[in-house]
Amino acid sequence: MASIMFYLLSLILLTATLLCIFQRNPVHAVLYLVLGFFSLAIMFYLLGAPLVAAWEVIVYAGAIMVLFLFIIMMLGLAPQDRPEGPGWQRWLPFVILMAAVLACTLVIIALDPAATAQGEPYSLGPQDFGEALFGKYALAVQVVSFQLLFAAVGAYNLGRIQRGKGKP
Amino acid sequence: MTPEMLSLSNSPGLFVGLMLLKLIVVFSVVMLMVAYATWCERKIIGHMQTRLGPMRTGWHGLLQPIADGIKLFFKEDIIPSQASVVPFLLAPMMILVPAIITVAVIPFGPDVTVSGLIVPLQITDLNVGVLYILAFAGLGVYGIVLAGWSSNSKYSLLGGVRASAQMISYELAAGLTIVSVFMLSETLSLREIVALQSEPLWGTFSFLPNWYVFTQPLAFFLFVITGLAEINRTPFDMPEAESELVSGFCTEYSSMKYALFFLAEYANMIVVSAIAATLFLGGWYGPLPSSLGVINLLGKIVAFMFFFIWLRATLPRVRYDQLMRMGWKVLLPLALANVVVTGFVVVLLQ
Amino acid sequence: MSSTTGSLPTTAPILFEDYLALGIYVGIALFLVAILLLLSWGLGHRTRSRIKNEPYESGVYPTDNARLKGPVPFYLVAIFFILFDIEVIFVASWAVAYDRLGWAGFGQVSFFTLVLLVGLLHLWKTGALDWGPSAARQNRKNQDIP
Repeated sequence: MASIMFYLLSLILLTATLLCIFQRNPVHAVLYLVLGFFSLAIMFYLLGAPLVAAWEVIVYAGAIMVLFLFIIMMLGLAPQDRPEGPGWQRWLPFVILMAAVLACTLVIIALDPAATAQGEPYSLGPQDFGEALFGKYALAVQVVSFQLLFAAVGAYNLGRIQRGKGKP
Repeated sequence: MTPEMLSLSNSPGLFVGLMLLKLIVVFSVVMLMVAYATWCERKIIGHMQTRLGPMRTGWHGLLQPIADGIKLFFKEDIIPSQASVVPFLLAPMMILVPAIITVAVIPFGPDVTVSGLIVPLQITDLNVGVLYILAFAGLGVYGIVLAGWSSNSKYSLLGGVRASAQMISYELAAGLTIVSVFMLSETLSLREIVALQSEPLWGTFSFLPNWYVFTQPLAFFLFVITGLAEINRTPFDMPEAESELVSGFCTEYSSMKYALFFLAEYANMIVVSAIAATLFLGGWYGPLPSSLGVINLLGKIVAFMFFFIWLRATLPRVRYDQLMRMGWKVLLPLALANVVVTGFVVVLLQ
Repeated sequence: MSSTTGSLPTTAPILFEDYLALGIYVGIALFLVAILLLLSWGLGHRTRSRIKNEPYESGVYPTDNARLKGPVPFYLVAIFFILFDIEVIFVASWAVAYDRLGWAGFGQVSFFTLVLLVGLLHLWKTGALDWGPSAARQNRKNQDIP
């Protein structure tokens, strides 16, 4: 049952992500991306990582996408017109790159015995996650805190210059 | 022998039947409460302002919500010419549906035993129920942003932007207050959180139950304030400030689509009340005996709703800069301090 | 600190029942809302006219585009929200496992919170969190200092 759900969600995720890339209306693209994040979160949950699933929804769908929507809303981006040029040739670089990535992935999976090995179903409880984060990866967490500090200060300084130029 | 939990494997027919029964009962009760919350609000505010409120339809206007619903069904469904149609139609759904499905993790009574099997009175007991609430609380903002953007009207956009900035500012403090609750409970399952609150409080206060409102009074206070801001109720109803923005983000909506925004406001009130009751006031536990668990929970929800309506009749709307200042400079530092102090105490006591 | 590789998973495996009930509930909610919208689309009468479908602007003809150009404070709020939301999830990740992490974990999370509190204080002092009249005052003050 879980594997059926997994493939169903993968299908939704891939479709949503592709639609997100190919949509010409930016708001529709953001909505598809949100749908993609949702199916990804449910997949994390099914794979036994409930905390990661919750963080996925809270941070990506709840915070970052809201910023995207804000920017798109207020910049008034219109749906892009279809660019000039011959039709299918525009997609050629994309198709070649995707084919290369896919081929590399298949080769890696074929060569690596661990990738195909059937592992025990594993459930990473919230407590294990927290313990690993603040135990094993504690230094990384502190680096993240400084990054967030720099981001806050940097974002404000960039934004403030903009405000000074505008109307008083 | 100890009775085991009812599951799909040991009694499939009973499981599915009871599950559907729970789903339908919860859903109907929520919708009924939403419908009658509108009537209560009009009656209560009416009486507080020495008016009578609705009186004509039925005894003391009791049929008013039904009349309103029928009226709204037959209203003209307008989609503004410059609107983006799909987001315009999605927005009212995206604001009501998260509110309704948050209720799924609220336990509404103690476990009952049906033919030797334990049945929890809850739609689903997720092991990360608290995080589920946090995640869905953050999604209501989409409906508002989309409604504001897709209407292609200046009032709507202003209302939408204001609403979303307000909601995200208060969400931080709300999240942190919930964190301080599950630090005390050491579990993320709402069923276990309620069970823990049914134990007596320590020491001389053992006549009281261990409701987290007694151990986390500041968190409770902050949660109620941020809850009010999250659901855009007075005094934080900036997004639909009637006197300045016509109706804010739902200016361009009509007919049932408008009604869905209206229903969502009351559904969100119920959700915030239910979460506050479950996390801080013991959920279905006490003051009445546990066999009347549902009545306990409903009573607490109704009390919160009355409080919210009362606030609307009493307080004026705050100014936008005051609102943002309070969110970022008062509530967020207080909530952070509360978490750190709670953490210090629980690590000290363990 | 101990590593997680040896510890057993603490949560029960995810049960099919858990998400079956939730899925059906979500389905009912979506279905009912869709029915409500469809019913009103069918029942309500419809007239089409150019004037009626214009956006409402208090009876005046709508002018210009309904898009705000560059209200930077709102972007800033959204960015600060992301940053502090990440802080909240780190604090929450610690809070679910504080009993296993003990004082070391408490030290870690206190330092983490302190660093971000410094950030918040900086934003506070430079007026990033001010709106309306107080923001205008702060802006003037900042411009005086070259």
